Amino acid sequence: MADSTDGAETSGVVRPRPATGFASPAGDYYDGGIDLNRHLIPDRTSTFVMRVSGHSMAGAGAADGDELIVERARTPRDGNVVVAVLDGELMVRRLRLEEAGPVLQTEPLPPNPPVRTRIDGELDVWGVATRSLHRL
Amino acid sequence: MSIGTEAATGHRFALVDVNNFYVSCERVFDPRLADRPVVVLSNNDGCVVARSSEAKELGIKTGTPWFQLAPQAERMNLVARSSNYELYGDMSARVMEVIGRFGAWQEVYSIDESFLGLPAADEAALAGTARAVRAAVRRLVGVPVCVGVAPSKTLAKFANHIAKRNDHLAGVCSLGSMPPAELERLAARLPATELWGVGARTGDKLAGQGIQTIADLAAADPARIRKKFSVNLQRTVLELRGTACIPPIDERADAHQIMFSRSFSTPVDTAAAMADVMTVYAQSAASRLSARGLQAEVVTAFAGTSRFAAGEASNPSVSVPLPAPTDDPIAIVRTAVAALEARLVPGARYARAGVVLSGLTRAGAARQGELDLFAAQHDDGGPADGRGAGPAANLGSLLGEVKTRFGKGAIGLGSGGVQAPAEWSMKRQYSSPKYTTEWKDLPVVSA
Repeated sequence: MADSTDGAETSGVVRPRPATGFASPAGDYYDGGIDLNRHLIPDRTSTFVMRVSGHSMAGAGAADGDELIVERARTPRDGNVVVAVLDGELMVRRLRLEEAGPVLQTEPLPPNPPVRTRIDGELDVWGVATRSLHRL
Repeated sequence: MSIGTEAATGHRFALVDVNNFYVSCERVFDPRLADRPVVVLSNNDGCVVARSSEAKELGIKTGTPWFQLAPQAERMNLVARSSNYELYGDMSARVMEVIGRFGAWQEVYSIDESFLGLPAADEAALAGTARAVRAAVRRLVGVPVCVGVAPSKTLAKFANHIAKRNDHLAGVCSLGSMPPAELERLAARLPATELWGVGARTGDKLAGQGIQTIADLAAADPARIRKKFSVNLQRTVLELRGTACIPPIDERADAHQIMFSRSFSTPVDTAAAMADVMTVYAQSAASRLSARGLQAEVVTAFAGTSRFAAGEASNPSVSVPLPAPTDDPIAIVRTAVAALEARLVPGARYARAGVVLSGLTRAGAARQGELDLFAAQHDDGGPADGRGAGPAANLGSLLGEVKTRFGKGAIGLGSGGVQAPAEWSMKRQYSSPKYTTEWKDLPVVSA
Protein backbone atom coordinates (compact mmCIF):
# COMPACT_ATOMS: atom_id res chain seq x y z
CA MET A 1 0.00 0.00 0.00
CA ALA A 2 3.01 2.29 0.09
CA ASP A 3 3.16 2.50 -3.68
CA SER A 4 0.88 5.46 -4.10
CA THR A 5 1.98 7.57 -7.01
CA ASP A 6 1.54 11.30 -7.27
CA GLY A 7 -1.97 12.04 -6.07
CA ALA A 8 -3.16 8.46 -6.32
CA GLU A 9 -6.16 7.58 -4.24
CA THR A 10 -4.87 4.74 -2.14
CA SER A 11 -6.44 5.21 1.23
CA GLY A 12 -4.17 6.21 4.06
CA VAL A 13 -3.29 4.23 7.11
CA VAL A 14 -5.77 4.37 9.94
CA ARG A 15 -4.75 7.39 11.99
CA PRO A 16 -4.20 7.15 15.71
CA ARG A 17 -6.94 8.96 17.54
CA PRO A 18 -6.18 11.13 20.52
CA ALA A 19 -6.55 9.17 23.72
CA THR A 20 -9.58 10.83 25.25
CA GLY A 21 -12.29 9.42 27.45
CA PHE A 22 -14.98 9.49 24.76
CA ALA A 23 -14.65 8.48 21.15
CA SER A 24 -15.35 11.34 18.79
CA PRO A 25 -18.57 10.76 16.79
CA ALA A 26 -16.61 12.06 13.78
CA GLY A 27 -13.86 9.54 14.35
CA ASP A 28 -15.22 6.97 11.95
CA TYR A 29 -15.24 9.50 9.12
CA TYR A 30 -11.86 11.04 9.76
CA ASP A 31 -9.44 9.82 7.17
CA GLY A 32 -6.32 11.66 8.28
CA GLY A 33 -6.59 14.88 6.28
CA ILE A 34 -4.18 15.80 3.53
CA ASP A 35 -0.87 14.06 3.75
CA LEU A 36 1.71 16.09 1.86
CA ASN A 37 4.04 13.12 1.72
CA ARG A 38 1.52 11.27 -0.41
CA HIS A 39 1.27 14.12 -2.88
CA LEU A 40 4.81 15.39 -3.00
CA ILE A 41 6.81 12.19 -2.58
CA PRO A 42 5.97 9.72 -5.33
CA ASP A 43 8.65 7.26 -4.21
CA ARG A 44 10.09 7.56 -0.74
CA THR A 45 13.23 5.65 -1.67
CA SER A 46 14.32 8.10 -4.35
CA THR A 47 12.84 11.45 -3.39
CA PHE A 48 14.98 13.94 -1.49
CA VAL A 49 14.48 17.49 -0.25
CA MET A 50 17.22 20.06 -0.84
CA ARG A 51 17.61 23.72 0.00
CA VAL A 52 18.50 26.39 -2.56
CA SER A 53 21.33 28.78 -1.82
CA GLY A 54 21.76 31.67 -4.24
CA HIS A 55 19.71 33.74 -6.64
CA SER A 56 20.58 32.45 -10.08
CA MET A 57 17.49 30.23 -10.44
CA ALA A 58 14.87 32.61 -9.06
CA GLY A 59 13.47 33.07 -12.58
CA ALA A 60 12.68 29.36 -12.67
CA GLY A 61 10.85 29.51 -9.33
CA ALA A 62 13.70 28.30 -7.16
CA ALA A 63 14.59 31.28 -4.99
CA ASP A 64 17.24 31.58 -2.32
CA GLY A 65 16.13 29.56 0.72
CA ASP A 66 13.42 27.57 -1.10
CA GLU A 67 13.20 23.83 -0.64
CA LEU A 68 13.20 21.64 -3.71
CA ILE A 69 11.67 18.19 -4.13
CA VAL A 70 14.33 16.25 -6.04
CA GLU A 71 13.55 12.91 -7.66
CA ARG A 72 16.36 10.57 -8.55
CA ALA A 73 14.02 8.16 -10.33
CA ARG A 74 13.26 10.60 -13.16
CA THR A 75 15.24 10.56 -16.38
CA PRO A 76 16.50 14.09 -16.96
CA ARG A 77 14.99 15.65 -20.09
CA ASP A 78 15.50 18.82 -22.04
CA GLY A 79 14.02 21.75 -20.13
CA ASN A 80 14.03 20.07 -16.69
CA VAL A 81 15.35 21.89 -13.67
CA VAL A 82 18.02 19.52 -12.40
CA VAL A 83 20.46 19.12 -9.54
CA ALA A 84 23.81 18.38 -11.16
CA VAL A 85 27.32 17.83 -9.88
CA LEU A 86 29.62 20.58 -11.14
CA ASP A 87 33.18 20.84 -9.86
CA GLY A 88 32.38 18.73 -6.81
CA GLU A 89 29.36 20.81 -5.90
CA LEU A 90 25.61 20.22 -6.12
CA MET A 91 24.12 22.91 -8.38
CA VAL A 92 20.57 23.58 -9.48
CA ARG A 93 20.30 24.52 -13.16
CA ARG A 94 18.02 24.37 -16.20
CA LEU A 95 19.08 21.46 -18.40
CA ARG A 96 19.23 21.96 -22.16
CA LEU A 97 19.98 18.95 -24.31
CA GLU A 98 21.36 20.53 -27.46
CA GLU A 99 22.86 18.94 -30.52
CA ALA A 100 26.32 20.09 -29.56
CA GLY A 101 25.89 18.53 -26.10
CA PRO A 102 24.20 19.23 -22.80
CA VAL A 103 24.10 22.75 -21.39
CA LEU A 104 23.35 23.79 -17.82
CA GLN A 105 22.03 27.30 -17.57
CA THR A 106 21.06 29.69 -14.83
CA GLU A 107 17.70 31.43 -14.87
CA PRO A 108 17.93 34.60 -12.79
CA LEU A 109 15.20 37.18 -12.48
CA PRO A 110 15.28 39.79 -15.26
CA PRO A 111 17.08 41.85 -16.23
CA ASN A 112 19.98 39.52 -15.38
CA PRO A 113 20.98 37.34 -18.32
CA PRO A 114 21.25 33.56 -17.99
CA VAL A 115 24.70 32.01 -17.83
CA ARG A 116 25.24 28.91 -19.94
CA THR A 117 27.75 26.19 -19.11
CA ARG A 118 28.37 23.62 -21.81
CA ILE A 119 29.30 20.20 -20.46
CA ASP A 120 32.14 18.64 -22.41
CA GLY A 121 32.74 15.55 -20.34
CA GLU A 122 30.09 13.38 -18.76
CA LEU A 123 27.07 15.18 -17.37
CA ASP A 124 26.42 14.06 -13.79
CA VAL A 125 22.77 14.70 -12.98
CA TRP A 126 21.98 13.98 -9.32
CA GLY A 127 18.22 14.27 -9.70
CA VAL A 128 15.37 16.17 -11.29
CA ALA A 129 13.80 18.98 -9.25
CA THR A 130 10.04 18.68 -9.62
CA ARG A 131 8.69 21.22 -7.16
CA SER A 132 9.84 24.24 -5.25
CA LEU A 133 8.49 25.09 -1.81
CA HIS A 134 8.57 28.84 -2.00
CA ARG A 135 7.94 31.18 0.90
CA LEU A 136 5.41 33.92 0.15
CA MET B 1 32.07 -33.12 -3.72
CA SER B 2 32.12 -29.80 -5.42
CA ILE B 3 30.58 -26.42 -4.87
CA GLY B 4 26.90 -26.08 -5.61
CA THR B 5 26.57 -29.40 -7.43
CA GLU B 6 23.69 -30.64 -5.32
CA ALA B 7 21.63 -27.56 -6.05
CA ALA B 8 18.01 -28.26 -6.76
CA THR B 9 16.64 -26.29 -9.67
CA GLY B 10 14.49 -24.07 -7.57
CA HIS B 11 14.51 -20.58 -6.23
CA ARG B 12 17.77 -18.77 -5.68
CA PHE B 13 19.18 -16.55 -2.94
CA ALA B 14 20.70 -13.17 -3.62
CA LEU B 15 22.86 -11.40 -1.08
CA VAL B 16 22.90 -7.68 -1.76
CA ASP B 17 25.15 -5.40 0.25
CA VAL B 18 26.28 -1.81 -0.01
CA ASN B 19 29.97 -1.22 -0.67
CA ASN B 20 31.58 0.68 2.21
CA PHE B 21 28.09 1.66 3.32
CA TYR B 22 28.83 4.57 5.68
CA VAL B 23 31.30 6.18 3.31
CA SER B 24 28.96 5.66 0.36
CA CYS B 25 26.14 7.44 2.25
CA GLU B 26 28.42 10.42 2.91
CA ARG B 27 29.41 10.58 -0.75
CA VAL B 28 25.84 10.82 -2.01
CA PHE B 29 25.51 14.30 -0.56
CA ASP B 30 29.09 15.49 -0.81
CA PRO B 31 30.50 14.91 -4.30
CA ARG B 32 33.88 16.26 -3.19
CA LEU B 33 34.40 12.98 -1.35
CA ALA B 34 34.36 11.00 -4.60
CA ASP B 35 37.67 9.27 -5.42
CA ARG B 36 39.25 10.52 -2.19
CA PRO B 37 40.29 8.41 0.78
CA VAL B 38 37.48 8.76 3.33
CA VAL B 39 37.08 7.19 6.77
CA VAL B 40 34.11 7.21 9.13
CA LEU B 41 34.87 7.32 12.85
CA SER B 42 33.22 5.53 15.77
CA ASN B 43 31.32 7.11 18.66
CA ASN B 44 33.13 10.11 20.07
CA ASP B 45 35.36 10.17 16.98
CA GLY B 46 37.49 7.42 18.51
CA CYS B 47 38.63 5.22 15.67
CA VAL B 48 38.04 4.14 12.11
CA VAL B 49 34.92 2.01 11.56
CA ALA B 50 34.48 2.36 7.79
CA ARG B 51 36.85 3.07 4.93
CA SER B 52 36.54 3.97 1.29
CA SER B 53 38.49 1.74 -1.09
CA GLU B 54 41.05 4.56 -1.45
CA ALA B 55 41.55 4.58 2.32
CA LYS B 56 41.99 0.80 2.28
CA GLU B 57 44.63 1.21 -0.43
CA LEU B 58 46.51 3.62 1.83
CA GLY B 59 46.78 0.75 4.31
CA ILE B 60 44.45 2.30 6.89
CA LYS B 61 42.97 -0.45 9.04
CA THR B 62 39.59 -0.63 10.71
CA GLY B 63 40.08 0.21 14.36
CA THR B 64 42.94 2.64 13.89
CA PRO B 65 42.57 5.45 16.46
CA TRP B 66 41.86 8.76 14.77
CA PHE B 67 44.50 10.63 16.81
CA GLN B 68 47.14 8.50 15.08
CA LEU B 69 45.86 9.40 11.62
CA ALA B 70 44.96 13.05 12.17
CA PRO B 71 48.50 14.46 11.88
CA GLN B 72 48.97 12.77 8.48
CA ALA B 73 45.46 13.34 7.18
CA GLU B 74 46.27 16.40 5.12
CA ARG B 75 49.30 14.81 3.51
CA MET B 76 47.25 11.74 2.62
CA ASN B 77 44.34 13.87 1.35
CA LEU B 78 42.29 11.90 3.87
CA VAL B 79 38.84 13.05 4.97
CA ALA B 80 37.22 11.89 8.22
CA ARG B 81 33.54 11.92 9.06
CA SER B 82 31.91 11.26 12.42
CA SER B 83 29.27 8.53 12.42
CA ASN B 84 25.99 10.02 11.26
CA TYR B 85 23.54 7.36 12.47
CA GLU B 86 20.49 9.31 11.40
CA LEU B 87 21.72 9.50 7.82
CA TYR B 88 22.82 5.86 7.64
CA GLY B 89 19.56 4.64 9.14
CA ASP B 90 17.46 6.58 6.64
CA MET B 91 19.59 5.56 3.68
CA SER B 92 19.46 1.94 4.84
CA ALA B 93 15.65 2.01 4.88
CA ARG B 94 15.65 3.35 1.31
CA VAL B 95 18.14 0.78 0.08
CA MET B 96 16.26 -2.12 1.71
CA GLU B 97 12.95 -1.06 0.22
CA VAL B 98 14.42 -0.86 -3.29
CA ILE B 99 16.08 -4.28 -2.92
CA GLY B 100 12.84 -5.80 -1.64
CA ARG B 101 10.99 -4.82 -4.81
CA PHE B 102 12.98 -7.36 -6.80
CA GLY B 103 12.36 -10.50 -4.80
CA ALA B 104 9.70 -12.97 -3.76
CA TRP B 105 10.78 -12.44 -0.16
CA GLN B 106 13.39 -10.40 1.65
CA GLU B 107 15.39 -10.90 4.81
CA VAL B 108 17.17 -7.78 5.98
CA TYR B 109 20.31 -9.09 7.58
CA SER B 110 22.00 -5.93 8.82
CA ILE B 111 22.00 -2.20 8.22
CA ASP B 112 23.71 -2.64 4.86
CA GLU B 113 22.92 -6.14 3.63
CA SER B 114 19.87 -8.13 2.72
CA PHE B 115 19.04 -11.57 1.44
CA LEU B 116 16.53 -11.67 -1.37
CA GLY B 117 14.55 -14.63 -2.66
CA LEU B 118 14.54 -14.99 -6.44
CA PRO B 119 12.04 -17.34 -8.07
CA ALA B 120 13.45 -20.13 -10.23
CA ALA B 121 14.72 -18.80 -13.53
CA ASP B 122 17.44 -19.50 -16.07
CA GLU B 123 20.94 -18.16 -15.51
CA ALA B 124 20.57 -15.23 -17.90
CA ALA B 125 17.42 -14.06 -16.15
CA LEU B 126 18.99 -14.40 -12.67
CA ALA B 127 22.03 -12.40 -13.72
CA GLY B 128 19.72 -9.85 -15.31
CA THR B 129 17.77 -9.42 -12.07
CA ALA B 130 21.01 -9.06 -10.12
CA ARG B 131 22.19 -6.32 -12.48
CA ALA B 132 18.79 -4.63 -12.25
CA VAL B 133 18.96 -4.55 -8.43
CA ARG B 134 22.40 -2.99 -8.59
CA ALA B 135 21.36 -0.38 -11.15
CA ALA B 136 18.15 0.50 -9.26
CA VAL B 137 19.85 1.08 -5.91
CA ARG B 138 22.53 3.18 -7.60
CA ARG B 139 20.02 5.26 -9.49
CA LEU B 140 17.31 5.66 -6.85
CA VAL B 141 19.35 5.96 -3.67
CA GLY B 142 22.79 6.73 -5.06
CA VAL B 143 24.95 4.08 -3.39
CA PRO B 144 26.87 1.18 -4.99
CA VAL B 145 25.91 -2.40 -4.11
CA CYS B 146 27.31 -5.83 -4.94
CA VAL B 147 25.03 -8.77 -5.63
CA GLY B 148 25.80 -12.48 -5.29
CA VAL B 149 23.29 -15.08 -6.51
CA ALA B 150 23.43 -18.77 -5.63
CA PRO B 151 21.36 -21.79 -4.52
CA SER B 152 21.99 -21.16 -0.79
CA LYS B 153 22.69 -18.26 1.53
CA THR B 154 26.25 -19.38 2.23
CA LEU B 155 26.96 -19.60 -1.50
CA ALA B 156 25.20 -16.27 -2.15
CA LYS B 157 27.58 -14.68 0.36
CA PHE B 158 30.47 -16.38 -1.38
CA ALA B 159 29.26 -15.15 -4.79
CA ASN B 160 28.95 -11.65 -3.38
CA HIS B 161 32.52 -11.90 -2.15
CA ILE B 162 33.66 -12.90 -5.64
CA ALA B 163 31.71 -9.99 -7.16
CA LYS B 164 33.44 -7.61 -4.80
CA ARG B 165 36.97 -8.81 -5.50
CA ASN B 166 36.73 -8.92 -9.29
CA ASP B 167 36.29 -5.58 -10.99
CA HIS B 168 35.46 -7.13 -14.35
CA LEU B 169 32.25 -8.60 -12.87
CA ALA B 170 30.89 -5.07 -12.32
CA GLY B 171 29.56 -5.88 -8.86
CA VAL B 172 27.43 -8.86 -9.84
CA CYS B 173 28.18 -12.59 -9.61
CA SER B 174 25.72 -15.37 -10.21
CA LEU B 175 27.47 -18.55 -9.21
CA GLY B 176 25.73 -20.57 -11.92
CA SER B 177 27.27 -18.36 -14.60
CA MET B 178 30.81 -19.07 -13.49
CA PRO B 179 32.82 -21.69 -15.36
CA PRO B 180 32.90 -24.71 -12.98
CA ALA B 181 36.68 -25.04 -13.31
CA GLU B 182 37.21 -21.46 -12.19
CA LEU B 183 34.90 -21.97 -9.22
CA GLU B 184 36.82 -25.10 -8.21
CA ARG B 185 40.09 -23.21 -8.42
CA LEU B 186 38.78 -20.41 -6.22
CA ALA B 187 37.36 -22.82 -3.63
CA ALA B 188 40.64 -24.71 -3.50
CA ARG B 189 42.56 -21.49 -2.94
CA LEU B 190 40.43 -19.54 -0.46
CA PRO B 191 40.54 -20.44 3.24
CA ALA B 192 37.36 -21.76 4.86
CA THR B 193 37.38 -18.73 7.16
CA GLU B 194 36.35 -16.57 4.20
CA LEU B 195 32.93 -18.20 4.47
CA TRP B 196 29.92 -16.74 6.21
CA GLY B 197 29.72 -18.12 9.75
CA VAL B 198 33.21 -19.64 9.88
CA GLY B 199 35.23 -17.62 12.36
CA ALA B 200 38.93 -17.70 13.13
CA ARG B 201 38.53 -20.13 16.05
CA THR B 202 36.50 -22.61 14.01
CA GLY B 203 39.07 -22.13 11.25
CA ASP B 204 41.90 -23.18 13.58
CA LYS B 205 39.95 -26.21 14.74
CA LEU B 206 39.16 -27.15 11.14
CA ALA B 207 42.81 -26.83 10.21
CA GLY B 208 43.56 -29.32 12.96
CA GLN B 209 41.32 -31.76 11.08
CA GLY B 210 43.13 -31.07 7.82
CA ILE B 211 40.36 -28.83 6.50
CA GLN B 212 41.94 -25.64 5.21
CA THR B 213 40.07 -24.39 2.19
CA ILE B 214 36.50 -23.90 1.12
CA ALA B 215 36.88 -26.90 -1.18
CA ASP B 216 38.09 -29.02 1.77
CA LEU B 217 35.03 -28.06 3.80
CA ALA B 218 32.63 -28.75 0.93
CA ALA B 219 34.15 -32.23 0.65
CA ALA B 220 33.95 -32.98 4.37
CA ASP B 221 31.49 -35.52 5.76
CA PRO B 222 28.50 -33.55 7.07
CA ALA B 223 27.72 -36.07 9.81
CA ARG B 224 31.29 -35.96 11.07
CA ILE B 225 31.29 -32.14 11.00
CA ARG B 226 28.13 -32.14 13.08
CA LYS B 227 29.66 -34.47 15.62
CA LYS B 228 33.02 -32.70 15.87
CA PHE B 229 31.73 -29.13 15.52
CA SER B 230 28.10 -28.10 15.43
CA VAL B 231 24.88 -28.35 13.54
CA ASN B 232 25.57 -24.85 12.23
CA LEU B 233 28.81 -25.89 10.58
CA GLN B 234 27.10 -28.97 9.18
CA ARG B 235 24.62 -26.60 7.58
CA THR B 236 27.50 -24.65 6.08
CA VAL B 237 28.79 -27.85 4.45
CA LEU B 238 25.36 -28.68 3.04
CA GLU B 239 24.88 -25.10 1.85
CA LEU B 240 28.25 -25.20 0.10
CA ARG B 241 27.02 -28.19 -1.86
CA GLY B 242 23.94 -26.26 -2.85
CA THR B 243 21.32 -27.39 -0.33
CA ALA B 244 19.74 -24.35 1.29
CA CYS B 245 19.24 -25.07 5.00
CA ILE B 246 19.94 -21.91 6.98
CA PRO B 247 16.56 -20.67 8.15
CA PRO B 248 15.55 -17.01 7.97
CA ILE B 249 16.33 -14.78 10.94
CA ASP B 250 12.74 -14.77 12.13
CA GLU B 251 12.45 -18.56 12.19
CA ARG B 252 15.67 -19.38 13.94
CA ALA B 253 15.81 -21.18 17.24
CA ASP B 254 15.74 -19.36 20.56
CA ALA B 255 19.47 -18.83 20.77
CA HIS B 256 19.40 -16.48 17.80
CA GLN B 257 16.30 -14.46 18.44
CA ILE B 258 13.89 -13.26 21.04
CA MET B 259 10.24 -13.26 20.16
CA PHE B 260 7.22 -11.91 21.94
CA SER B 261 3.92 -12.55 20.21
CA ARG B 262 0.32 -13.12 21.22
CA SER B 263 -3.10 -13.63 19.74
CA PHE B 264 -5.73 -11.09 20.75
CA SER B 265 -8.98 -11.86 22.48
CA THR B 266 -10.62 -9.05 20.52
CA PRO B 267 -9.31 -8.07 17.10
CA VAL B 268 -7.25 -4.89 16.81
CA ASP B 269 -8.41 -2.70 13.95
CA THR B 270 -6.88 0.74 14.44
CA ALA B 271 -3.32 1.95 14.05
CA ALA B 272 -3.49 3.58 17.49
CA ALA B 273 -4.44 0.34 19.19
CA MET B 274 -1.78 -1.52 17.23
CA ALA B 275 0.80 1.05 18.36
CA ASP B 276 -0.17 0.31 21.97
CA VAL B 277 0.16 -3.41 21.37
CA MET B 278 3.56 -2.98 19.73
CA THR B 279 4.72 -0.78 22.62
CA VAL B 280 3.90 -3.47 25.16
CA TYR B 281 5.26 -6.39 23.12
CA ALA B 282 8.46 -4.59 22.15
CA GLN B 283 9.10 -3.71 25.80
CA SER B 284 8.57 -7.30 26.81
CA ALA B 285 10.98 -8.47 24.15
CA ALA B 286 13.50 -5.78 25.15
CA SER B 287 13.42 -6.83 28.80
CA ARG B 288 14.06 -10.45 27.81
CA LEU B 289 16.94 -9.16 25.73
CA SER B 290 18.62 -7.26 28.53
CA ALA B 291 17.88 -10.05 31.02
CA ARG B 292 20.04 -12.27 28.85
CA GLY B 293 22.76 -9.61 28.54
CA LEU B 294 22.24 -9.30 24.80
CA GLN B 295 21.89 -6.57 22.21
CA ALA B 296 19.85 -6.80 19.03
CA GLU B 297 20.63 -5.60 15.55
CA VAL B 298 17.30 -6.13 13.85
CA VAL B 299 13.75 -5.54 14.97
CA THR B 300 10.99 -7.42 13.18
CA ALA B 301 7.41 -6.38 13.80
CA PHE B 302 4.54 -8.43 12.44
CA ALA B 303 0.79 -8.72 12.62
CA GLY B 304 -1.78 -10.93 11.02
CA THR B 305 -5.47 -11.28 10.46
CA SER B 306 -7.18 -14.54 11.32
CA ARG B 307 -7.31 -17.09 8.55
CA PHE B 308 -10.88 -17.91 9.56
CA ALA B 309 -12.29 -14.42 9.83
CA ALA B 310 -14.14 -12.63 7.08
CA GLY B 311 -12.73 -9.43 5.65
CA GLU B 312 -9.46 -8.40 4.12
CA ALA B 313 -6.44 -10.59 4.85
CA SER B 314 -3.32 -8.75 5.87
CA ASN B 315 -0.10 -10.22 7.23
CA PRO B 316 2.50 -7.49 7.32
CA SER B 317 5.98 -8.30 8.56
CA VAL B 318 8.68 -5.69 8.56
CA SER B 319 12.32 -6.12 9.54
CA VAL B 320 14.24 -2.98 10.37
CA PRO B 321 17.95 -2.90 11.14
CA LEU B 322 18.93 -0.77 14.12
CA PRO B 323 21.72 1.74 13.43
CA ALA B 324 23.90 -0.01 16.00
CA PRO B 325 23.32 -3.08 18.20
CA THR B 326 21.33 -2.05 21.23
CA ASP B 327 19.25 -3.23 24.18
CA ASP B 328 17.70 0.20 24.63
CA PRO B 329 13.95 -0.41 25.06
CA ILE B 330 13.17 3.08 23.79
CA ALA B 331 14.91 2.54 20.48
CA ILE B 332 13.37 -0.91 20.14
CA VAL B 333 9.83 0.23 20.93
CA ARG B 334 10.02 3.15 18.54
CA THR B 335 11.41 1.02 15.77
CA ALA B 336 8.74 -1.64 16.19
CA VAL B 337 5.86 0.84 16.30
CA ALA B 338 7.07 2.83 13.29
CA ALA B 339 7.92 -0.25 11.24
CA LEU B 340 4.46 -1.74 11.40
CA GLU B 341 2.38 1.42 11.18
CA ALA B 342 3.06 2.05 7.51
CA ARG B 343 2.04 -1.48 6.50
CA LEU B 344 -1.28 -1.80 8.29
CA VAL B 345 -4.30 -2.11 6.07
CA PRO B 346 -7.10 0.22 7.15
CA GLY B 347 -10.09 -1.73 8.36
CA ALA B 348 -8.29 -5.05 8.62
CA ARG B 349 -9.03 -6.86 11.88
CA TYR B 350 -5.74 -8.13 13.24
CA ALA B 351 -5.86 -11.24 15.39
CA ARG B 352 -2.21 -11.50 16.39
CA ALA B 353 1.01 -9.51 16.45
CA GLY B 354 4.53 -9.84 17.65
CA VAL B 355 8.03 -8.50 17.88
CA VAL B 356 11.19 -10.44 17.06
CA LEU B 357 14.64 -9.25 18.03
CA SER B 358 17.46 -10.82 16.06
CA GLY B 359 21.10 -10.39 15.17
CA LEU B 360 21.84 -10.92 18.84
CA THR B 361 25.23 -10.22 20.33
CA ARG B 362 26.57 -10.02 23.87
CA ALA B 363 26.14 -6.51 25.22
CA GLY B 364 29.55 -4.88 25.15
CA ALA B 365 31.13 -7.73 23.19
CA ALA B 366 32.78 -7.16 19.86
CA ARG B 367 30.88 -8.27 16.80
CA GLN B 368 32.20 -9.07 13.38
CA GLY B 369 32.23 -6.38 10.77
CA GLU B 370 31.94 -2.65 10.58
CA LEU B 371 30.04 -2.11 13.78
CA ASP B 372 32.55 -3.79 16.08
CA LEU B 373 33.79 -0.62 17.55
CA PHE B 374 30.46 0.86 18.45
CA ALA B 375 30.07 -1.94 20.92
CA ALA B 376 33.61 -2.37 22.12
CA GLN B 377 34.99 1.10 22.19
CA HIS B 378 35.99 2.79 25.40
CA ASP B 379 38.40 5.58 24.74
CA ASP B 380 37.90 9.31 25.19
CA GLY B 381 36.69 8.71 28.70
CA GLY B 382 33.23 7.94 27.41
CA PRO B 383 30.92 5.41 29.00
CA ALA B 384 32.64 2.08 29.13
CA ASP B 385 30.26 0.19 26.91
CA GLY B 386 29.93 2.96 24.35
CA ARG B 387 26.63 1.64 23.11
CA GLY B 388 24.31 4.26 24.40
CA ALA B 389 26.41 7.03 25.76
CA GLY B 390 24.02 9.14 27.72
CA PRO B 391 20.56 9.45 29.13
CA ALA B 392 18.85 6.99 26.79
CA ALA B 393 21.00 4.06 27.90
CA ASN B 394 20.71 5.00 31.54
CA LEU B 395 16.98 5.28 31.22
CA GLY B 396 16.87 1.89 29.54
CA SER B 397 18.70 0.16 32.34
CA LEU B 398 16.70 2.06 34.95
CA LEU B 399 13.49 0.82 33.35
CA GLY B 400 14.87 -2.69 33.49
CA GLU B 401 15.84 -2.32 37.13
CA VAL B 402 12.49 -0.95 38.21
CA LYS B 403 10.76 -3.79 36.38
CA THR B 404 12.93 -6.39 38.03
CA ARG B 405 12.28 -4.96 41.48
CA PHE B 406 8.67 -3.91 41.34
CA GLY B 407 7.24 -6.10 38.62
CA LYS B 408 6.72 -5.74 34.92
CA GLY B 409 3.86 -3.29 34.96
CA ALA B 410 5.53 -0.91 37.40
CA ILE B 411 7.02 1.36 34.78
CA GLY B 412 7.09 1.60 31.04
CA LEU B 413 7.02 3.61 27.89
CA GLY B 414 3.99 4.89 26.09
CA SER B 415 1.28 7.51 26.37
CA GLY B 416 1.67 9.34 29.66
CA GLY B 417 4.93 7.50 30.21
CA VAL B 418 8.44 8.52 29.49
CA GLN B 419 9.35 11.45 27.26
CA ALA B 420 11.54 11.18 24.19
CA PRO B 421 15.14 10.33 24.99
CA ALA B 422 17.61 13.15 25.15
CA GLU B 423 20.07 13.58 22.30
CA TRP B 424 23.16 11.47 22.64
CA SER B 425 25.83 13.59 24.19
CA MET B 426 28.45 12.33 21.82
CA LYS B 427 31.37 14.07 20.31
CA ARG B 428 30.75 14.27 16.60
CA GLN B 429 33.20 16.88 15.47
CA TYR B 430 33.33 15.84 11.84
CA SER B 431 29.70 14.99 11.40
CA SER B 432 27.94 15.68 8.15
CA PRO B 433 24.45 17.20 8.47
CA LYS B 434 21.44 14.90 9.02
CA TYR B 435 20.62 15.48 5.37
CA THR B 436 17.52 13.33 5.15
CA THR B 437 16.04 13.39 8.63
CA GLU B 438 16.30 17.02 9.84
CA TRP B 439 14.59 19.93 8.09
CA LYS B 440 17.32 22.37 9.13
CA ASP B 441 20.02 20.04 7.81
CA LEU B 442 18.78 19.61 4.21
CA PRO B 443 21.52 19.31 1.59
CA VAL B 444 22.26 22.68 0.03
CA VAL B 445 22.28 23.18 -3.74
CA SER B 446 23.92 26.25 -5.23
CA ALA B 447 21.95 28.46 -7.55
